[in-house]
Amino acid sequence: MQRKYTILSILLVVLALGLVILPKKTNKTETDPKVLLSALAEKSRFLTTDLVSKRIIENDPTLLLIDLRPADQFKAFALPGAINIQPESILSDSNSELLKQLGKDIVLYANSDLASEKAWLLCARYVNYSRLYIMKGGLNEWYNTIVMGTDVAATASSAEFDLVNFRKAARQYFTGAGQTTEKTATEKTPVKITVVRKAPKSSSGGGC
Amino acid sequence: MIGPLIQSGFIPQAWDNIIAVFLGAAFGFALESSGFSSSRKIIGTFFGYDFVVVKVFFTAAITASIGLLYLDYLGLVNFSLLYIQPTFMTSAIVGGIIMGIGFSMGGFCPGTSLCAAAIGRIDGMVFFGGMFIGVFLFSESFPFWEKMYYSGSQGPKMINDALGISAQLFTLFLVIVAVGMFYGAAWVQRKVKKVEY
Repeated sequence: MQRKYTILSILLVVLALGLVILPKKTNKTETDPKVLLSALAEKSRFLTTDLVSKRIIENDPTLLLIDLRPADQFKAFALPGAINIQPESILSDSNSELLKQLGKDIVLYANSDLASEKAWLLCARYVNYSRLYIMKGGLNEWYNTIVMGTDVAATASSAEFDLVNFRKAARQYFTGAGQTTEKTATEKTPVKITVVRKAPKSSSGGGC
Repeated sequence: MIGPLIQSGFIPQAWDNIIAVFLGAAFGFALESSGFSSSRKIIGTFFGYDFVVVKVFFTAAITASIGLLYLDYLGLVNFSLLYIQPTFMTSAIVGGIIMGIGFSMGGFCPGTSLCAAAIGRIDGMVFFGGMFIGVFLFSESFPFWEKMYYSGSQGPKMINDALGISAQLFTLFLVIVAVGMFYGAAWVQRKVKKVEY
């Protein structure tokens, strides 16, 4: 009876010792290539610069902007609230802690799509965050659409007018500019009004 | 990675309660077959003539932790998906004292009292009745206890994190302590006068 228990005790100790001795396993699980491919084909990971700007302006608490550019560029300019992470360290433990926050939409951006696509693919392959997005076109596109603004043809639809108006407002928000450069009603060239008088109708005088 | 079976979608969430019933029945069967439905056997721990309670619970803890760590190592269970009870320090201490007093007075813990009641022991039924009254009174007076109940919150806390060592190393220490305790208990049991029950 006692011997049985001794053997069991030794077995438990050996098993527990084995746990300590075993080499640390690398905790990298990979996403199935099929899943990864279909995720790549899915374009919903792209957010437009307009949408991202809108959410910045609205102080959306679920938005978490990740700036993937080098640190000096990040210091020079970054979108409000963005966090600077280098693409090569995006899988590090501290960054994973940051990125796996529940209820946050992680939006990656760099100067173009190149770095953000790489970082997105790394995350999709090894970590698989559910809400990871890319700001389409990066900061270049953001500059072109929001800061530079676009003009719109007079025949454009009202949706396009709304978009242009939103961009103007966003530019004012981000750069503070626009107030002075924008044409106001008084600056518009006054329309010359030429009054064309109708020729007086011939009188219907006389008998009928 | 297939476990935990429900969280990883291997078994649909709807099976949750059904599996719980089967696991509960199996737990009750194991309790009864190890003699836990006898309050004399349970109370033996406090008098030193029967240490089966301590042995069973320690064996369960070390078997489960060694098994889980190996399954995690082999990639069969995702350790991070396991539910860990959040720690509420104050209520844990107060609850522990109340539970300890009830345990040593009645000779049952909640699970074993149901076991005893199920095989027709009257003391088990009385104990369960008392437990029910306690639950009822606590629920009714909950606003009064609420502040204390939620105080000392520390979230899901792991003892190995608090000690700053790995889970594997802590498990090794736990196993060594458990094995030492088994032999210590056997030594005490030899010294104490045997009680027939």
